[in-house]
Amino acid sequence: MFNLRDWGADLWDRSNKFTRILISVSAIGVAASLPFLGGTFLNTPVAEYESVLVFPIAIFVIMALGLNIVIGKSGLLDLGYVAFFAIGAYTMGLLGTKTNLNSWEILPIGIAMAMFAGLILGVPALRLRGDYLAIITLGFGEIVRITALNLNAIGGANGIVGIPTPPTIFGLEYTFDNHRLYYWTFLIIILLTIWMIRRLSVRRGGRAWESIRQDEDAAELMGVPTFRYKIWAFVLGASVGGAAGVLYASKTLFISPDNFTLQVSILILACVIFGGMGNIWGVILGAVILGYLPDRIRFLSDARLLVFGIVLVLMMNLRPDGVLPRKKREKVLPKKDLK
Amino acid sequence: MNNVILSLENVTMQFGGVVALNDVSFEIRKQEILGLIGPNGAGKTTVFNVITGVYQLTKGDILFQGESIQGDKRYRITNKGIARTFQNIRLWGDMTALENVVTATDTHKKSGLLSGLFGLPVSRKEEKRDKVRAQEILDFIGIGEYADRLAKNLPYGVQRRLEIARALGTNPKLLLLDEPAAGFNPAEKVELAETIRKIRDAGYTVLLIEHDMSLVMGVSDRVVVIDFGQKIADDLPAKVQNDKRVVEAYLGVPDDAS
Repeated sequence: MFNLRDWGADLWDRSNKFTRILISVSAIGVAASLPFLGGTFLNTPVAEYESVLVFPIAIFVIMALGLNIVIGKSGLLDLGYVAFFAIGAYTMGLLGTKTNLNSWEILPIGIAMAMFAGLILGVPALRLRGDYLAIITLGFGEIVRITALNLNAIGGANGIVGIPTPPTIFGLEYTFDNHRLYYWTFLIIILLTIWMIRRLSVRRGGRAWESIRQDEDAAELMGVPTFRYKIWAFVLGASVGGAAGVLYASKTLFISPDNFTLQVSILILACVIFGGMGNIWGVILGAVILGYLPDRIRFLSDARLLVFGIVLVLMMNLRPDGVLPRKKREKVLPKKDLK
Repeated sequence: MNNVILSLENVTMQFGGVVALNDVSFEIRKQEILGLIGPNGAGKTTVFNVITGVYQLTKGDILFQGESIQGDKRYRITNKGIARTFQNIRLWGDMTALENVVTATDTHKKSGLLSGLFGLPVSRKEEKRDKVRAQEILDFIGIGEYADRLAKNLPYGVQRRLEIARALGTNPKLLLLDEPAAGFNPAEKVELAETIRKIRDAGYTVLLIEHDMSLVMGVSDRVVVIDFGQKIADDLPAKVQNDKRVVEAYLGVPDDAS
């Protein structure tokens, strides 16, 4: 049977450096040209196609990639991932409206805030495992949302309005309806995230996470400082979520606690599981499908969510490991170093 | 006694009302193979668990190279030089054999997660060094040809050996083997005995839990026997075999003896 995952991975393994660059460039080219395909069957009937590409699709992809570090790589069930997204968005909202900093300057601050929050949550929570960790993170997600809802200093239930757009760069203006520019900007962030995860996966950190996911006790007894690595996973996952938050806020220009409900955490989790936990390409595909599908079938109006649910249930029955599962092939470590 | 590498001093381990180990003391000397035997439930694996920090002692102390390791974090104990295998195989199944061993070398890496991310030379050098070393260990244990196979797809005997290779990956001074021959046929046991001797000759110290008497008696330099959490013998294999209390522990006391 044809297996897309193995086919792709084999193609990559067999390629030399030149072919690899060619594959990467054409893949990026395809991704970058997506906004031009609005007139085709891809078009979303009600919502504006190009805007759907930016949100939810691109934002979902970034968040799913971040959550994948926590759940897919390290096996830590985090049900409050939206909290980091919210912290990034609120950092952008507050600093954007109250100071003269622009989006690019706020981006690292938002990432740092989210990482700090990841650390604050991780240090107590990561002493627990499995279900208990899930409940704590679930609580954390809600705490952040409810705090935002009740804290009038940050807008309370009204949220924050009038968040500035990113400043013009290279003569390109980020106006509210210049969706393509936003999309390409987000694509760069996605590529950076992919680069980070791929780099980490084949080295010390990735292997340690993998060992923790498979058998945490064995990992610790084999000398892997598991707690430290789990904190790293949490903090790096949070950084990606925070980046997504900053970008989201500087795109929608208005945020309120309603944007950061538990449902978002669950949906991103669904993207990760639906696509294929642990495999970044699967996770990206999952996020693209789950971000896109609800808008594509909007003509069904009220039956839309029912159909969405049925698709999820069917998929998980047919492919329990996701659309593109993590690779289970042999020969994962490149042997070239041994020669 | 300068050549003592690990000593258990009056170790007591209680779980609620159950006394798993009661005032157990013994020591392991450098480069010896010490057999640890006893009937089922005697507390052998508990000894491993207290040494590797899985359990915190109720009483007593454990000294490794003269320093107490009691209360140390588990990965710190491994880092200091004690590594173990598991009675029920606990490899990382979705990793290749080589990756299993490379992951275990983590404890002696100097380059951090971030230098790996940016591909700094220090990280690259370490990656290469550890992969080469991991392959050497696999070859040493005699399973080098399986390096690229996923651990979960390996034959049972190879998995048992990979457990030993992974433990060696942490570069230990003391190696704890928990029933490494479980499920082996006689020919495989002979091979394993050779491997254990080879490990000792390479400079490691081995503490061996094993049920197979011919293997333990054949390979050990010294044997410690525990029964109901108490040490009942500590001597050369030949002497232990004839020890009255050991025979009683294994075969029971005749009714008219008391």
